[in-house]
Amino acid sequence: MLIFNQLNTYLYLALVLFAIGLYGVMARRNLIAMLISIELILNAASINFMAFNRFLAPHPAVGQVITLFIMAVAAAEAAIALSIIVAVYRKLKSINVEQATELRG
Amino acid sequence: MGDPILLGCLATVILPLAAFAIIMIFTWRHHKLSLAISLIASTIPMIISWIFFFKLAGLKQPIIYQFDWLISDQVKVPFGFLLDPTSLLMLVIVANISWLVQVYSVGYMGGDPGFGRYYADLSLFAMSMLSIVISSGLLQLYISWELVGLASYLLIGFWYEKFSASEAGKKAFVVTRFGDIGFFIGLVFLTLYFGGLDIHSINTAAVGKGMPQWLLTASALLIFCGVMGKSAQFPLHVWLPDAMEGPTPVSALLHSATMVAAGVYLMARLFPLFAAAGPTALTIILAISTITLILSSTIGMVASDIKQVWAYSTVSQLGFMSMGLAAAGLAGGTLFAGYFHLTTHAAFKALLFLCAGVFIHHFGTNDFFVMSAQGGRKLYIPMATVTIAALALAGIFPFAGFFSKELVLGALAHLPNKIWLVLGLLGAFLTAYYAFRVIFVMLFPRPQPPDWVQAQIDVMASGGHGHGHGHGHEEEDTGHGHGHEEHHGVPWVMSLPLLVLAFFTLILGFCQGYLEKFLMGASHPHDVDLMLLVAAVGCALGGIGVAWLDWGRPTAKWQGFLRQFPVLENFFIQKWYMDHFWRWFLNTIIYGIFSKWFTYNDRRVVDGGVDAVALGTIGSGRLLSFIQTAFLQLNIFFMVLVLAGIGIYLLMGR
Repeated sequence: MLIFNQLNTYLYLALVLFAIGLYGVMARRNLIAMLISIELILNAASINFMAFNRFLAPHPAVGQVITLFIMAVAAAEAAIALSIIVAVYRKLKSINVEQATELRG
Repeated sequence: MGDPILLGCLATVILPLAAFAIIMIFTWRHHKLSLAISLIASTIPMIISWIFFFKLAGLKQPIIYQFDWLISDQVKVPFGFLLDPTSLLMLVIVANISWLVQVYSVGYMGGDPGFGRYYADLSLFAMSMLSIVISSGLLQLYISWELVGLASYLLIGFWYEKFSASEAGKKAFVVTRFGDIGFFIGLVFLTLYFGGLDIHSINTAAVGKGMPQWLLTASALLIFCGVMGKSAQFPLHVWLPDAMEGPTPVSALLHSATMVAAGVYLMARLFPLFAAAGPTALTIILAISTITLILSSTIGMVASDIKQVWAYSTVSQLGFMSMGLAAAGLAGGTLFAGYFHLTTHAAFKALLFLCAGVFIHHFGTNDFFVMSAQGGRKLYIPMATVTIAALALAGIFPFAGFFSKELVLGALAHLPNKIWLVLGLLGAFLTAYYAFRVIFVMLFPRPQPPDWVQAQIDVMASGGHGHGHGHGHEEEDTGHGHGHEEHHGVPWVMSLPLLVLAFFTLILGFCQGYLEKFLMGASHPHDVDLMLLVAAVGCALGGIGVAWLDWGRPTAKWQGFLRQFPVLENFFIQKWYMDHFWRWFLNTIIYGIFSKWFTYNDRRVVDGGVDAVALGTIGSGRLLSFIQTAFLQLNIFFMVLVLAGIGIYLLMGR
């Protein structure tokens, strides 16, 4: 059970999550998929905070507070992003980002 | 709070303010009620002022109630009351004259639709003026000073339907503000150096020369700027004659007896400061007041509007007072001469204006030639009192003006340079001349009025209603029509103040010793300079004599001796071209230079700067828009790349 009581475990977990999220954002063309990937990135950051808080932090609550913040912000961000996606869908009848070319410079 | 003196001070200030608020908010529609409130709120301060005057006479130390309203590091701004002989005397003057004017206005303003508003404004004025008089700090004084300006603006423009009245109100407000800028800078100077605006300590510090000389001179001159504005000294005197557009009682109250005297009062209040300010400042002040004296007396000689004559007379007498103060400061004398003249002047000038008001009310014109032709002398009480007041103004024994003028001339005679004395005597001569020009014309009307008078009367008759009075609105129904239907006698509410003021004009001169003891603590027997006495009375009698030759004697042609010098006469009729000067000044300097360049600066520099920022943003946006490829993932890719680069750089840098 020692492995769950180490900082590194959680950092690797976060790294994996982050990488998956980054890949998802860059590779997927579906806006909802991209949104989900961003949530993964945020969760990776949350895990980092919790892990550092658990193993290193002088004060026991700071990381948890920041994680709570991230969750709240993620919820707000999800609401906004979904409404943007709905708007994009109404406009383009599609949620593929390759279709959204109106702002080409 | 149990202190009766403090309670009295509070009552004098708060009652009129409360009256103003109550009338303006609730009762202005009910004329009688507003009148009652306002009269109560002015009677109590009057009674208090008399009680203070007699109970607190012989005060050794000033009574000061104050608290620090604002404390910031070194700077303390006190609010409160300062009672010393100087303020007690002025308190009596202000409280009484405003009471008399409120009583008088019952008759004068009766039936005016704005009756309630009028009394509210009078109350506001009373409050702010009383607050000037007994304030303990200069900032409080300054605030009340501006409030007085506001009340004056409201009252001058009282008949605001009339264009000239609202213009005159604006002019008064702006011109006095012009001087107040200087006053305020002076206050800033005092604050910076002295760290406070407490009048009592400023005066003691000034006596002890606690300040550098140049600073004293500068602050005294800057404060005198405020005096110039408020007391209508050259070259800021132009607003006062125009201020006569207001109702006549207002002219009596604000523009002769109390408000314009506030400037001179301020000089008296800060007399130690002015005296310590050194000869440079005092000589400048003396010169300005002398110019004012001569300028306005000469204009008074040619005006045909009775209120204009008294207005210019006010300007000149104010100049005379500040001459007295400045001369006393130069010669090391006391403030008594100028201040005594202020006291007597308040009585007789208010009387002159209130008499003028009776005539104007009765005849519906401001032109005293027309009044004369229509039988002005048949109004016995006002005619008698106006003559008394004019005698006082001319400085004839035994009326009040004689004593105070004598004192001021005495102060001038102490100066090494006799030119001031000569000019003062010239002023006395001119004053007597223009005062008695009015009196003789009114007293000895021609059986057949001269053509130009007859023409005026015809115009009035065809116009039906004399609008010279200034009511812009139709009010035949309200019973305040003037001109024809109102040839009954003078109502007692109007003649009572006249009689009271005439009484004071008669006795004030003999109170000189008492007042001097009251103000200075001791009465010095004045060494009567016989030569000076003869010269002064000679000048006054000479003025009256010339006026008799020109206007009084049965064969007089009703032409001033100035008719011999058409250039000079025209110069005086054009008011020394001062209005032209200010118009030119405004057009060329203010609009032509400052406004023009400020507008240019605003258009080009300020607006241009904003435009440049906006255009730059648009341009760079265009330039950088190639980055936007409409391919979201590419952007994210670059973002990640850059962030990764920064991260690696930071890690390497460790």
